Amino acid sequence: MRVPARTDDHEWSQHHLSHYVEGDLRPRARRRLDRHARGCVDCGRGIRAMRALVYAAQGLGGLAGVRAPETIFDRVRSAGAG
Amino acid sequence: MRSPDGRRAPEPGDTEASLLARAQAGDVAAFERLSSAYADRLFMLLLRLLGDRAEAEDVAQEVMLRAWQGITRFRGQSSYFTWLYRIAVNEANRALEKRARRPAGVAIGADELQLPAPAALDPSRQAEASELRRALGRALADLPPPLRTALVLRDIEGLSTQEAAEIAGLGEAAFKSRLHQARLRVRAAIGDEVLASTGG
Repeated sequence: MRVPARTDDHEWSQHHLSHYVEGDLRPRARRRLDRHARGCVDCGRGIRAMRALVYAAQGLGGLAGVRAPETIFDRVRSAGAG
Repeated sequence: MRSPDGRRAPEPGDTEASLLARAQAGDVAAFERLSSAYADRLFMLLLRLLGDRAEAEDVAQEVMLRAWQGITRFRGQSSYFTWLYRIAVNEANRALEKRARRPAGVAIGADELQLPAPAALDPSRQAEASELRRALGRALADLPPPLRTALVLRDIEGLSTQEAAEIAGLGEAAFKSRLHQARLRVRAAIGDEVLASTGG
């Protein structure tokens, strides 16, 4: 007999999408989310969205030519001279 | 000796350990050389957390002053970078608390986030990437500071969970909890349609 999906699977999956893409779910929990997402358009898209979000955030990394201001040690110099 | 931008340039034979020992003995020039290695990255972190260049410049000076005043208490239990970053996060939070008591906040602009448009993308994909950058900037600006700090340190700065948690002054489980909350809020703010359509 097929076991019906738990009624709270959708809400639980939506709440754990970040854990899922981060690899923070235990195997049993990961299988639960996988199983639900296979039949749920919203959660399948949610996984893609969360992956895209992490990827986009990673793309913001790097200095992109930003330099610290020349004044960054001014207060240290004043304190050192004092 | 100073580099053209006015900062102390590293000299041959300088190691972090030797500079640290001299800085702890009161050598300001050694402290500058030691900290200069992280100055650009630290300033970028402050820009991301504060979203305002003038405020980031002010806080950056304060971070260096606090580090200088506390250098003798640094015992090497973490890396110097982690210690300096932790001071920066604390000072940024202090500045944000002050700002919260003022009437209007300052939104983080896309320019502060510094996402270069990938040259390999075609124009329509570049436009999507720019739009995503702006949306991400707005969503980040709306996050409560503790959640913004978690997302900036882990996802944008690319630090390990362990290092990011240490800088944020949290255990790893508590840090992860904030990170997951931050991502869920940003996802909700931007919307799955926009995110999923940009791929990843």
